[in-house]
Amino acid sequence: MAKAFTHGTADVKKQPGFAVIAAICIAVLYLPLMIIATYSFNAASNIGAAWKGFTIDWYASALQNREFYDAAILSIGLAFAAMVISTVLATAAALGTTRGKRWRGQTAAFVTLTTPLVIPEIVTGISLLAFFAAVAALIDINFGLGKLLIAHVTFCIPFAYLPIKARLEGMDETLENAAADLYATRWQTFRYVTLPLVVPGISSGAALAFIVSFDDFTITQLIAGPGETTLPLYIYTRIRRALTPEINAMCTLLLMISFIFIILSFAISKRRSQ
Amino acid sequence: MTEFQSSATSGSAVDMLGIVKDFDTFRAVDDVTLKIQPNEFFTLLGPSGCGKTTLLRLMAGFETPTTGSILLGTKDISRLPPNHRPINTVFQSYALFPHMTVAENIGFGLKMLGRSRSEIKVTVDEMLRLVRLEGRGDSLVTRLSGGQQQRVALARGLAPRPQILLLDEPLSALDLKLRQSMQIELKRLQAETGITFVFVTHDQEEALTMSDRIAVMNAGKVLQVGSSRDIYEHPADRFVAGFIGETNFLQGDLEAVDGMSGTVRLKNGVRVSAGLSEEAPRHGAITIVIRPEHIEITDVGAAGSIAATVATVVYFGTDTHIHTHLADGTPVIIRQQNRRDGSRAPQTNALIGLVLPLGASQVLRD
Repeated sequence: MAKAFTHGTADVKKQPGFAVIAAICIAVLYLPLMIIATYSFNAASNIGAAWKGFTIDWYASALQNREFYDAAILSIGLAFAAMVISTVLATAAALGTTRGKRWRGQTAAFVTLTTPLVIPEIVTGISLLAFFAAVAALIDINFGLGKLLIAHVTFCIPFAYLPIKARLEGMDETLENAAADLYATRWQTFRYVTLPLVVPGISSGAALAFIVSFDDFTITQLIAGPGETTLPLYIYTRIRRALTPEINAMCTLLLMISFIFIILSFAISKRRSQ
Repeated sequence: MTEFQSSATSGSAVDMLGIVKDFDTFRAVDDVTLKIQPNEFFTLLGPSGCGKTTLLRLMAGFETPTTGSILLGTKDISRLPPNHRPINTVFQSYALFPHMTVAENIGFGLKMLGRSRSEIKVTVDEMLRLVRLEGRGDSLVTRLSGGQQQRVALARGLAPRPQILLLDEPLSALDLKLRQSMQIELKRLQAETGITFVFVTHDQEEALTMSDRIAVMNAGKVLQVGSSRDIYEHPADRFVAGFIGETNFLQGDLEAVDGMSGTVRLKNGVRVSAGLSEEAPRHGAITIVIRPEHIEITDVGAAGSIAATVATVVYFGTDTHIHTHLADGTPVIIRQQNRRDGSRAPQTNALIGLVLPLGASQVLRD
């Protein structure tokens, strides 16, 4: 045993109890999701009821539900816009913090960019609320949905930034020198060499930004104005009404949208990094 | 974009005038002045950290000199960015674009110069032939072997027909056999294209076999510039003599000077005639240098010979190295070509006479 600990090569998969711990972890993570998904096909009319037979009625009713549909469209649109804006900004930030000469305040910039990850969401939400109130008091403009978009972009940036930065750091800078040596301008170097090679990082970053925006509840709850009901907010309000397996169907659909994005991003990374 | 059109045979060369490059407090290049001739295979030779790669990066435009200027023909290019210099580089790591095919890599420079698709295709095909990779244009560069990647890197650098091609230790990643065949290949490419090659290496053998002229560098300074033969047979100072090949140093006094040669009285009283470069001292205590293969062996006590004791005899196949020492302990190595009759090599502990033929030894600068 002592040998296994003193040598760094010990295979954790061979340690006693590994299989049990792994099984428990997987069960805790995925069993609730499987139950939600399974019971979305339950013919019973109560969420807690026993299995009464298979039906897809709850999906039909969810998709025909105007409020659910509107919330889904709003969420997807908002997440898409937040993803595009935050990924562009994050790419620029990642280039600024990994390329060229080191500059004064580079570390400070890195910390500023990534700190939102550790700030409690409720704090971010309330400060954004206070911020928008102050802005509204100063200039009389109603940002409307713009407020939600700004808020989402804000907390999406660090999620998009980190994978892009990691990819840029792992990339040989000599390649960019070679491009410049072969008469490429700065823009051409970025367009033909840096960008294609950093695509896997950008696609992971973008997928993360989308998911984070799409799933957000706490901050959105505080910022959203009347009528700005995103999917998580809508599902939450539904819980306070009568609970039918329709809510399971809605959650499962929400889960599906997230999965599709992750799979898409994974496929792009995989194809690009070959 | 016609500034890049200039053919390599138009007679322009690189002039490096008083180049100094400081990195913070470290002086990587210390007042270097070099003239590189057109169509020349020019080598920067020196140990790692001697500033040769920095000099190359200054020519390519990845660094700007702290002081001094770099002229290409008559044009000062010291402050131009790399993409405005008609100079291409073959990187030590090759730096091939991994997401492009062989043809896309080779055609990259021409594409950036805005050449037409048809022109790029013609040039790329020509380059593939030149580096003997016909039919591999559509391969991904990541699928190629090290030697093939090396050829693609060369073709990519040559395709835009630069005035100068810089090569940064391009053979160091290859195994011995491949390296030797690439040395011949590089010579052929240089001759066929007529482009000036500036080659950086720390391998003295590579430098001697390939170069028209060599600049030996150490600690940021150029110590000597000359042909392979010049550098090898008439090293200017102790560093150059010691860095290139095996060599012997003998102490003595310069007694008389006659133009480019002088009479040196060695410590044991024997007088020899040694070559004198312009920078060599003209009197006083000096060091002479002589290559092991230039020393002749004779009987001990023969007129004009130096007595030496044989310490070890090492057989090397084509030749034999005889390690000896003089009466005062100075080590001297002699290299003898092995002949078919054999048995000419002296025995260990034998007392022999060494003869330094006229013009074979050289007085060092310091």
